[in-house]
Amino acid sequence: MNKFFLFLIMLPKGLWRALGADIPQLKAILKVRLMLDDRKPLSFGRQQTKKKPARFMSALSVFLSAVIGMMYIIPLAALDDRIMGLWLYFTTFLLMLSFLLVTDFSTVLFDTRDKSILLPRPINERTLLLSKLLHMFIYLFRIVFPMSLAGWVFVAIENGLVAAIWFPFIVFMLTLVALFLVNGCYLLILNLAKPERFKDIINYFQIGFSVLFFAIVYLMPRAADSTGFKILQHQNYRWAAFTPTYWLAASWTWVEPDKVLSYTKWLSILAIAGPLLLIWLTVRFLSPSFAKKIGGIDVVDAPVQKAIGGASGRKTASKLYLKLANLLNKNPLSKAGFSIAWLQTGRSRNFKMRVYPSFAFVPVYFFYLVTQNKAPLTEIWHTLPETHNNILLLYMSAFIVMNLMSMLVFSDQYKASWLYYSAPIERPGSVMDGAFKAIWVKYYLPIFTVISCFVVAIWGTKSLLDIALALVNITLFAACVMRIAYRRLPFSSVEQMNEKGSRFFKTLFIMIIPSSLGFGHYFVDLVPWLWWLKIVFIGLSAMLLWLVWDSYKNTTWDELKKMDL
Amino acid sequence: MEPIISIRKLCKQYGEKTVLDNISLDIYPGQIIGYIGPNGAGKSTTVKVLTGVITDYTGTVLVNGKDIKEDILALKQMIGYVPEVAELYDLLTPNEYLHFVGALYNMPDNIIAERSSRILSSFGLLDNLNQRMDGFSKGMRQKVLLTAGILHNPAIVILDEPMSGLDANAVIVVKELMQVLKNEGKTIFYCSHMMDVVEKVSDRIVLIDKGQIIANDTIEALREGSSDSLEKIFAQMTTTENLNQTAGNIASALNDQADKIAL
Repeated sequence: MNKFFLFLIMLPKGLWRALGADIPQLKAILKVRLMLDDRKPLSFGRQQTKKKPARFMSALSVFLSAVIGMMYIIPLAALDDRIMGLWLYFTTFLLMLSFLLVTDFSTVLFDTRDKSILLPRPINERTLLLSKLLHMFIYLFRIVFPMSLAGWVFVAIENGLVAAIWFPFIVFMLTLVALFLVNGCYLLILNLAKPERFKDIINYFQIGFSVLFFAIVYLMPRAADSTGFKILQHQNYRWAAFTPTYWLAASWTWVEPDKVLSYTKWLSILAIAGPLLLIWLTVRFLSPSFAKKIGGIDVVDAPVQKAIGGASGRKTASKLYLKLANLLNKNPLSKAGFSIAWLQTGRSRNFKMRVYPSFAFVPVYFFYLVTQNKAPLTEIWHTLPETHNNILLLYMSAFIVMNLMSMLVFSDQYKASWLYYSAPIERPGSVMDGAFKAIWVKYYLPIFTVISCFVVAIWGTKSLLDIALALVNITLFAACVMRIAYRRLPFSSVEQMNEKGSRFFKTLFIMIIPSSLGFGHYFVDLVPWLWWLKIVFIGLSAMLLWLVWDSYKNTTWDELKKMDL
Repeated sequence: MEPIISIRKLCKQYGEKTVLDNISLDIYPGQIIGYIGPNGAGKSTTVKVLTGVITDYTGTVLVNGKDIKEDILALKQMIGYVPEVAELYDLLTPNEYLHFVGALYNMPDNIIAERSSRILSSFGLLDNLNQRMDGFSKGMRQKVLLTAGILHNPAIVILDEPMSGLDANAVIVVKELMQVLKNEGKTIFYCSHMMDVVEKVSDRIVLIDKGQIIANDTIEALREGSSDSLEKIFAQMTTTENLNQTAGNIASALNDQADKIAL
């Protein structure tokens, strides 16, 4: 695919030469840039560290863009009101495109390696600039074209030739709006945050993107089925007229003049004028100021400045984890494990990227499950307290635990764990014990508390016993996960795609634990007079938990070695 | 005087490959041992055995007269190690990292705080004590690793390329530090490729090649009355190639036809 793009982009060679570019150099730079695109991890969904080097990533990205593009057309197909459908289509499109660009573009734009690799070579400025612009063009085309493909085909079939010609033009305008948003967004981040924190903030965008992606895939088709959604009409959403995506939708008036409200017809002019104005603003004001700021990004790679009075900074934030570490651990090694897990998880981008989206999984998936009967939302909401879905919701947090616990042993910086082996540690289990507690207290407990508050609010205080039982059961599950599948020192292993077969079966086996505990709980809940059984279960689970945890925290070096075999 | 480290018939294999081949060596307290050898000679493996990271070797290693296999924790407590590759959890601040390391050595918090701030202050890093290390230069990381290596006041300090990435002033500080530690009676096991530094600071030089010790003496004895530098002695002992010739071959590769045409 890259060869094809390179061939296409080099077709107007004469033009590039006339613009002052050195053709062999331009071709060489573009070739390498496209090759690097192919090998960098995908922005869609999770980032995975694998043994196999990434290849053909751009082809996969094109494919995924096309697939997600199909999701956007759901409102277009489901809604009777064409303008509302288009508005939703363009809004989803713009949102996804902007998120994707914010997260992905940063690696293209802020590749400071250019400075050390390209700048010392005899390359003229025009070649450099052109190589950057053409690369961005190919890059955008690779996302926008497949993403808009489904919509294009849809309007062509539904509305014929005029619509088919009009559609790509509007998508082009939409891309301009996205570029404005992305530029503005970067500028805002650069203005508000220190350059060295820039990558952290982009990380949150990545997290937001994967939640959005996940929510669209799950909830879009579900929304299309619901009766309330079908009859959405743009007359009832007048505020929408203030959004650029509505202007784009309003230009439908040229395809089907009677579909658009008479008083919003003039908005179709904004469909062209708006994006052009925005891109003018981008080129004239945002980009230059942005280019100036980008210089600051290099600070990340340069030695850090000495902070005046830095020794006293961050003291208040650090106190909490130290207090908790002392409170919850007796053994100094456990305290060390607690501290490292607390600090490392709060700062590792990879950890956040992998764990935070799973927090959103619980509400989205719960919504997905309870709306299965296609009843109107208000009815579902009112009948919720009569269902036993509180048990389902509580046990869904086991998914978060599974994710959290596995990420406790993996790290990009696993090599730094040499330290454990050269330090006089009698039982590595002590360190692991502290780390487990840290992650449980820092992440799981707050989330479970939020879920519990929701459960009590909807189902009432009679759920308190269920909450207690679920908490013990899920903690037991977490301990089993760690004891059986992840009996390793914190942040000491590299994550591999091709897990050994034994690990797969182990994972399968431990997945049975929460399901069977959950089902047991659910069946007891079905029979009201069996409430006392819940108390018995709490006692039994707590005993089991104690046994598993004891074995985990007493893990010896020999047992750890066996895990590696 | 009893040797503090006594290695006898140490062998280690990785699969078919013999990395350490019958190594015997005595090291006395208060000495700086320069441990040198070409890449792949077995230096790192020796260091891993001495730090207790590798235990499946044959032969005996006595530290302070005790077999290290019998009480590996006591050995680890006695040893401070600064690894060659600066791997550390760089999302932490030096303060947090050093507290973590200190805790692994069972040190009380107040001592960790006191020592780390004093050592880092000497390295000129006190102002960076509470900054995350992900923005640190290689030299700054190396200073943190050096601090972590000596924080628990070990009797034996193993330094694997401790100067890499350090600026000229810091190199002087580390060289001086080795002398001061030596004068306090500590033993320093110093691995490096920087021959001029090894030559200057070491009391004894141990040269290892293909898993065997091929020289173990003072620099004066190795010179055998000549005025050769350690670099030259090293080259004579570890390679049969003519290095000047090699450099000549590289340079002559550039004088090909294409260049002449262009000129």
